[in-house]
Formats: sequence, C-alpha cells, structure tokens
Amino acid sequence: MSRNRLESHTGATLDFTFNGKAYQGIVGDTLASALLANGVDVVGRSFKYARPRGIFGHGAEEPNAIIQLGAGAATIPNLKATQVELYQGLEASSVNGWPSVDFDVMGIIGAFGRLMPPGFYYKTFMYPKKLWMTYEHFIRKAAGLGATPVEADPDSYDKLNQHCDVLVVGAGPAGLVAAREAARTGARVIIADEQSEFGGSLLASKQTIDGRIATDWIASLVAELAAYKNVQLLPRSTVFGYYDHNFLTILERRTDHLALSAPSGTRQRIHRVRAAQVVLATGAFERPLVFAHNDIPGVMLASSVSTYVNRYGVAPGNKLVVFTTNDNAYQTALDWHQTGRQVVAVVDSRTNPSGEIVDAVKALGIEVLVGHGLIEARGKKRVKAALVAPINESGTQVVGAVRYLDSDLIACSGGWSPAIHLSSHTGAKPVWDPNIVGFRPGASKQQERSAGACRGTFDLAGCLAEGASAGAEAAKLSGRGDGGLQFPGFSVEEYSEQPQQALFLVPHTQSTSRAPSQFVDFQLDVSASGIELAVREGFESVEHVKRYTALGFGTDQGKLGNINGMAILANALDQSIAETGTTIFRPSYTPTTFGAIAGRDVNHLFDPERYTAMHRWHQQQGAEFEDVGQWKRPWYFPQSGESLQKAVNREGLAVRNSVGILDASTLGKIDIQGPDAAEFITRMYTNSYLKLAPGKCRYGVMLKEDGMIFDDGVCACLADNHYLMFTTTGGAAGVLAWLELWQQTEWPELQVYFTSVTDHWTTATVTGPNARKVIAKVCNDIELSNEAFGFMDWRDGTVAGVKARIFRISFTGELSYEVNVPAHYGRHIWEALIAAGEEFNITPYGTETMHVLRAEKGFIIVGQDTDGSMTPADMNMDWVVGKNKAFSFIGKRSLQRSDTVRENRKQLVGLKTLKGSDVLPEGAQVVFDAKQKIPMSMQGHVTSSYYSASLGHSIALAVVKGGHSRLGQVVYCPLADGRSIAAEIVSSVFYDPKGERQHV
Amino acid sequence: MSNSIVQESVLYYFHGAFNKSAVPGSLFSDQTDCGLVIKEAPFSAHLNLRGDAADSEFCLAVAKVLNLTLPLVAGTYSRNGNTSIYWLGPSEWLIVEIGGDAAVIEATMRKALQGHISIVDVSGGQTSINMRGSAAATLLKKSSVYDFEAWDSAEPTAGRVVQTTFAKASAVVSNRPDGSYDLVIRRSFADYVAQWLLDAGAEFGCRVEQG
Repeated sequence: MSRNRLESHTGATLDFTFNGKAYQGIVGDTLASALLANGVDVVGRSFKYARPRGIFGHGAEEPNAIIQLGAGAATIPNLKATQVELYQGLEASSVNGWPSVDFDVMGIIGAFGRLMPPGFYYKTFMYPKKLWMTYEHFIRKAAGLGATPVEADPDSYDKLNQHCDVLVVGAGPAGLVAAREAARTGARVIIADEQSEFGGSLLASKQTIDGRIATDWIASLVAELAAYKNVQLLPRSTVFGYYDHNFLTILERRTDHLALSAPSGTRQRIHRVRAAQVVLATGAFERPLVFAHNDIPGVMLASSVSTYVNRYGVAPGNKLVVFTTNDNAYQTALDWHQTGRQVVAVVDSRTNPSGEIVDAVKALGIEVLVGHGLIEARGKKRVKAALVAPINESGTQVVGAVRYLDSDLIACSGGWSPAIHLSSHTGAKPVWDPNIVGFRPGASKQQERSAGACRGTFDLAGCLAEGASAGAEAAKLSGRGDGGLQFPGFSVEEYSEQPQQALFLVPHTQSTSRAPSQFVDFQLDVSASGIELAVREGFESVEHVKRYTALGFGTDQGKLGNINGMAILANALDQSIAETGTTIFRPSYTPTTFGAIAGRDVNHLFDPERYTAMHRWHQQQGAEFEDVGQWKRPWYFPQSGESLQKAVNREGLAVRNSVGILDASTLGKIDIQGPDAAEFITRMYTNSYLKLAPGKCRYGVMLKEDGMIFDDGVCACLADNHYLMFTTTGGAAGVLAWLELWQQTEWPELQVYFTSVTDHWTTATVTGPNARKVIAKVCNDIELSNEAFGFMDWRDGTVAGVKARIFRISFTGELSYEVNVPAHYGRHIWEALIAAGEEFNITPYGTETMHVLRAEKGFIIVGQDTDGSMTPADMNMDWVVGKNKAFSFIGKRSLQRSDTVRENRKQLVGLKTLKGSDVLPEGAQVVFDAKQKIPMSMQGHVTSSYYSASLGHSIALAVVKGGHSRLGQVVYCPLADGRSIAAEIVSSVFYDPKGERQHV
Repeated sequence: MSNSIVQESVLYYFHGAFNKSAVPGSLFSDQTDCGLVIKEAPFSAHLNLRGDAADSEFCLAVAKVLNLTLPLVAGTYSRNGNTSIYWLGPSEWLIVEIGGDAAVIEATMRKALQGHISIVDVSGGQTSINMRGSAAATLLKKSSVYDFEAWDSAEPTAGRVVQTTFAKASAVVSNRPDGSYDLVIRRSFADYVAQWLLDAGAEFGCRVEQG
C-alpha cells in the first residue's frame, strides 16, 4: 500500500514510472492521484524561476503537474497529470526542470527572482536584435515546454459530423438532469463530459440526492440516459470550442486511457456538432488564495484535497491546515477528519462565520481561527509550516502576532469561479457579480443557456433545479416538448451557506513588493508584486497587463489565476473589478492535438487525386505523373533509365515523324443546350459562334470583364442549339460556374442549360503524320479523307466497336484525331489505338512533350503564358477577337481602355538563344542592357522554355515590353548564377509557320 | 488488337476490396462480418435532365416517358422498378436506370419533350453505389456535414436525396426503404472516395462488392 493511500480504497494495481522511478497506482487513478498516493511532492519546475512545484488541483485547472507522456513517435507533451488516466506501464516525466526536477539549474537563477521582474525577457533580450533567435532558443530550452515527437504520428484520428437538438456540455448534476429532461421529449441529445466518468463534482461528494448517495444516484441516471435511443453519451470528451451558428467541437479521447498509442482504431475523434440548442453545465473552478509562498508543494485547492480523499482514496499529507474565505471549504476539514489524519486548524478570513458547517467542524474539536489569514507558507520542496495571523475585517492588513502552525498540507479556497469559457467563446461578455465574487456568463449571443455552477449557482439543489429547467427549455426551443419538467424537485441534504468574503490578496507583515512571492499564476510565475509593478510602469488595460506579465498565458489558460490577477490589478488601479473587466477566453478550452484536428485528411487522403479511365495503364507503363489541379496526368513515359529530357525528345520526335497518343481526358467539357446557346456562347468568347454549323469546331478565348484572358478552348456545334465546350483542365469548374453566373444573374432571358460532361468522356488524342492510318485501322464508318473530314471538323462513328465522337483538333500542329468515348470504354479504346498504332511505333506521350510541341507552334497555355494581366492583343491573337459582333462579349469594353491599348505592354514573342543548347529558365527576367547596374530595367520574362528536339535548339516564349515591334532584337536574361544568356526575339511560331501540317 | 469490348465500371479496380482494423479479439472474423458493404450497381443509364418545373406539359411528358412522376419537392426522388428520378435543383434532375441504355432513353425523351430542355448522357462519368450495414449511417457522419438523421423525421421520410459534399469530393446521397443508402459518385473522384470509404469503414469491417 502506498503511504498516502487510504486503506478503505482498494483496487487492482497498475505499474507506472515517473521521471524514471517505478511506482504503483490502482485502477481508477489519474496520474496525479497515483503520484500523490506515492508521496511524490515535486512534479515540475516553474517556468521562470524554476521553483519546485507540486500537484495543486485535480482537473483542467492544474497549473503545475505538466508532464510528458511516453517517448518516441507517440510521445505527448504538456499533459496535465490530473487529466491523465493511469494505465499499466504508463511512463511519464516532467516537461521542465533540467537536469532534474530535484536539482534544477534554472533554480539558481530563480533564487535571484527579484532580478526577473515582469517584462524581464522584453527588457533583457532586446538588443542586438539579430541575437533574439539565439536568446529564444536558450530561453525555451531552459524554461521547458515539453518535447514534440519528431517521427510521424503512428496513431489514427477521425471526425464525426453530428447534429442534435440539445447539446449538454458537462455531466455534473446540472448537466445530467438537463439531459434527462431533454431526452424524454424525444429530442436528439448529446451529453459530453471531459472526465472518464459522468457525475462531475458529485463523484467526490458524500451528499445524498432523493435519499440515495451521490454515486448511486449518478449511476442510475446515466443508465436511464443510456437507454434512450435519441441520446449519445460522450465521456472523456471535451467540448473545446464554441463557434458561430451553434457549431461546437468536441475532442473525444477514445484510447488514451488504455495506452500511449492505439495499435489500431481511432485514438481521438473530433465531433463537429451543429446543435439547435446548447446547455452549458461546465461547473466552476475553486479559486486559490494568494499568500506568500503559496506555491510550495503541499498547498492545494480545498476541493482537490476532498476529491483525492473521497474519489481516489488518497490523503496527500498528514497535518492539514484549511484556509478559506467561505463555508464551502469546511467540508474539506470534515473529509480529512474522516481519514483519521490531523486537521491542525481551519483559518477563516471572515470575522464572524456562523454557518451550520462551521459549527459541525467546531463540534469535532477542530480549532477554527476566525478573522485570520494564512499569510505565508514555509518549506522548500514541501510545506513544513503555515504562518497565520489576525487580519483586519477588510482583509488588507495583518493586525496581530504571527503564529506558526506545524503542517504539511494547506488546503485553500478563495471561493469559486464559474467556468464561463464556452460562453465567452461566443462573444458573450462576462458580467462581474459581487454576490458570488466572480464573473457570470454574459447575455447569450447564441442559442445557449448556462445552468448550475458555471452560472454562479453553487448549491446542489439549485444546480439540479436549474439543470432540469435548462434541459426542458432547450428541448422546447428546438421544437420538442412543452418545456414542462418531469422531475421538478429534488430532495438534497446540504448545509446552507453564509456569505463568503472577497479576498484576492492575503496581506503580509511586509508590503507586497517586499513580501515573499505571492503567486497569482503558478505556471508562468506571475506574482502579485509583478502585477503591481506593471501598473507602476504604466500598464492599465487588463489585456496589456496580461501580455506584459504573461498572466493566464500558460497551458492552463489562467483557469486559476485570472480572477485574482484582475482583482489585484483593479486594486492597484484603484478601480472596481467590473471597471477593470476580464480578458476574453478563446478556443481551445484545453489543448487539442494536431492529429485530431487533421483527422483522416492525411497522406493519400489529404487531397483527392483524380484519375482518368486509363490511369492504371499509365502506371503499368511506368509513367511519371504531374499534378494538374487535382488530376494526376502522365508527365512523361520514361523507358528504362531514360531522363525526362531524353524521354521528351523521343516522344516529341515520334509525334513529328510518325504518331503519338495523349490522354486528354482531363480537359473540361461542358454540354450546352438551348435555343439561345449560340448567342450565349458568342457573348462568352471573343469570337462568334452564330454561324458555326453542326459538325464544325472553333477555337475561342474567354475574357473576364477586365479584358484579360481567363480560359481558352474549342467549342463544337453538335446539332442545332446543341454545343460542346472544351475548357482547360484546371479551368473546368471555374468556367462552368462563370457560365451559370452570367446566365442566372445577367441574362436569365437567354434560354440555355449547361451540364458538365468532363467525367463522362474519355479522350485519346492520336497525332502525327501517321494518325490517319492508325484511325483507319479501327474505324471504318467515317470517311477519313481530308476533304470529307477536314481540320476543325468532328464526326460520329465507331472506333474499335465503340460508339465514338472524333474531333480534328490539334494542339501539336500535326494531323490529329481526338477520339472521345464514354469513360467505361476508356481503357478499351486506348489499348485498341495502341495496338492499331503498333506498326507505326505509336508513342504515348505526357504533358511535358505536349508542352514542348505546342510551344514549337506558339500555342499559349492559359495560366502559364498568361497570368491574368494579358489581353488577346498582348498574345498576338487579335485574330480571335470578333470586332463586329451584334451584341458584345465579356471584356470587350476593357480592350479599349487606355491601359490596354497603350504601347509598350508586355507582348508574347519567341526567344531563340544565340547558343542553341542554352535553355532559358522559365521565369527568367528579360533586360535590354546586360551591362546595366542592379537594379536593372526589367523588360519582361520568360513564360515557357524547352529544348526542342525537332528543331535541334532551345525555344522559349516570353512576354516583352513592346515585343511585337522588336523582332530581331537581342535581349539578355541575367541568371542567379551570374551568367547572362543572350537571345534573339523571334516569332512565337517556331515550327511549320504556315500551319500546313495540321491541314493534311 | 483485342476483339472483345471490355468495359470498366467506375469501381472496377475496387471490386472485392476489403479492409478492417486489426483489433485483437475483434468482432470481425472474416469478410462476411462487415459493418459496411459497398456494392456498385451494374452498368446503368445516367442522364442529366434540365427543364422548367413550372411547365406542366414538360412534367407530364417526362412522367409518361419514364412511367414515373417527376419529383418537384426539393430533396426528394421517385422510383419505379429500376428507374429513379432524383431532384438535384429547381430545374435539374438525375435520371438513373439500373442496367438501362442511355441512348434509348435520350432518344425517346427528345421525341416526347418539346421546348427548351436539356438532356445529357452522363453514364460514363458516374456510378451508383449502395452502402449497407450497421455502420452505414456512421459512415455518412464521417464523410458529410449533411444531417441525414433528419430524414427520419422529414416529410416524407422515404425517397430523400441530397447532393452534397462527401469527404473532399461530392456525392448524390439517397435513402432506401431497407435502411441502406445509395450514392452517386463521379468517376474521376472514385478512387479517392473508394479509399476514403475503405479507410473510414475499417473499424467496422468494410468490403466492396460488384453489382
């Protein structure tokens, strides 16, 4: 039996280690309760002064017991030992303290704590600026914020989208009864609680409800809820964020209580909840008292001492002094007395406490020191004594002799702070209530209400009544039930409580600035004197003081220290707490793992990969792939050991000299039907389609309203009032949305419908001088002669037994047939064409060769040669702009703006390097004077650049200021490596300038 | 050159796929114990129909040709045997005939329908899959933000459909009287969706069947 474990509390033992030492706990323990049971006093070192710190609380408020769990890939930093459920084999260590928590190098600096006032880092590490990175590294190492794993996370996380009528946050007494009232109306209810068991504060309570002890009452209520099909119970689930439109996020820890890493299944799950109504029943945090050396291990919250005794069977000490401003903490004296260990005294700051529970404590013969303050704790790594003294009624001065109480445990209570975090997330401004000496949740901004302790109602009967009403009300407002209560009243045994005293800073015999440190925020070592100093240095706003002192910045987010800190600030500023106000809480309520936030959107599921019907064939041929939008397109098809350049040379020459085949299925395809289709299309493109006959195709360019090119492609007339529009691969969705936008908002009178058929059709482009011969082998119902089926025509026919549509469109400048079949036949048609082309050595080619071939022809790629600031004229494509269209077209007016007609715009030209083997880097800047000093006058840039195997030299497309009138001029591309490549401005059409080859 | 014409359905490469978490002592002993079964429908006709819902002649003509009422209530579909019409928007419907021939349907409808309409064969670009098993509803929660449970209390509760996001792709999701769900997914996103489903279904045991 561990030395602090009560004999009445038994269970199966669990082995664990902490900072390398082996210990035993029992089933049901948290790491914190197990450490306390084993008498481990020092669990960490404070952030700034590296003072030894012990376990202070028992839940999310814990500021000191910040630990690293496990090692290796699954290690988790910065967990609170109070929230880590113990499992067999658990390994934990302190996140800070080097070389160990018992001997800490920084502690030596800490001994000179007065040398590190608030703003110490700002003040000390200001200059020289460039050394800040060095300082920061040192500070982080010294302070210790835990270690993140460097390996990939071995665990799996996912998300669930939930919808409910009523979400109840917190399964303490108020939450449980709220859920029950809502559940019985048939409402869809989710109730979530961060602890392993439902019950909240009742889990550590010895009270009775309706004649039953609390734990039994909880068990039957949870069983009742579990029986409802419309209720989801989520234990170990923290509601960590409350966002607009009643959207809340819950982190469910599914396996963390079993092992460090889940061998399979989901370690953590985020529930993304859209709730019609929300009941917040998040409870309250007990507030510590700020006295000198209140951070020595052995000082704890009174409710935490009771929780360890009652719930975990752990008495974390021997001789208890209770220090309180209220009746509530007297319960801790009663609970401790039950363990058989000594209650040295109850120190009450109030001059005349008269509650029933005070009498109950006195009746046990326990000394009650009224009108006293516990002004200082003594001890190093554990409390050895408490110094108590009479204080004045307002709690501002010590007014009598100091007395030493021999003690090793101090339980303190400065009242309770409602956990208003989630309400605060919604933007509701907390309201100070002097009656409860705390902030209540502000007026609701969303469909939510608070019930119980988080609303400032601290008696059990009140919590139950409020919870029930809130549940019924929420259900009613979600459209379920009539708001009536099934269980309107509860019979509860509890002491009636007398008013508490507001005491935020316990006076000392010395002034605050001279007294030993009186800590407000334990994790970040913010003391009362630090806050007062910040005020003396001119800080007034609570937000500024927070940032200057770091109050509330730790992983506990000021759950304990905030109220005391603000009150001390208010006092120093000589204003009320309400005037001072509070800082705003934001998500997350407690730290949330990145793994859970990412969910399953990782690795191959991070972003969809879109495949064509021939994707497996490409893979089997060893294709390298290129990302085009979300599509995976074959980039090139290397034969054994071939480099990209060699493969592209081979593929390109095959197309120019015989025949190649390209998977062009990814091009966007939009089916357009309606009596006004031709008119509509003519308004979208720069040229006209009014006279395009069935069987014919036309190339067009689309502009945005600003006159700049936004997409291009071919449009075919399939039948009267029926067209097929091709878009770029990346532009497909954008073009469809663009068409719908103009039809729905500007020209609803035009009768036209659009339907995406991108996925329906598979396209295999057969191109090269031998293309006709290949097609002829698999298609015998189309007359293929140039006279019967010419360039920019399309025909219906049968290819390899499949009904197909063939377009004579060319992006290579060669004789081309684009064979389209429904995608189920995609692989069949592809393999049939490959087989038919075998005798011509038909060569599959990828996007890289496609780019080279089209660049040889000077065909632009929208988005590569254009960048949203190029007009058709800039691209030397005036020929595609219809000047005399009856209506107009989008962007037409902008083509006449002074800026779009000015001379010296960047214009598309070809660049031919003087040395043919030099390939310009894409993006290289173009200058006219290679000898000009930096900064040089940049005249343009290279947009596309390749080595052309067909031509035997490099080619490039560039946009150059006034380029169209500079043919023959030599320009220079200065490179980062110091070279400067000279090139001649030439026509952008390098190959077959008359365009004869595609017309054969 | 091959003589036979091979068709590859959208989930061709996933037929027979199976995934489950290797939980020691798990409930799943073999492939037959799956909480999620994905079954791809056989090759079917899928046609996108556009037209004026306010034009009663149009609605009647569609009903007559397909022997099925054109659903005009948002989020509903009608079904007769192998043929279904899904409401996609105020002027847009998806016609699916399991095992049907889209060319025949298109030709018949073009003959019967007058005025400004659009009918487009999209059969090659999508597929219909059925998702059944005890985990089907949970899979939808993992994959989509839509409130499918709300269908249980909607009016009517049966014959519901929604076109919505599905993981990072999209799907047309509808309910069946047997408690299972039908999904129409796009071909180019199908590999992603199939892998998503196999991954999300792993904890329940998941397999893909050929229809």
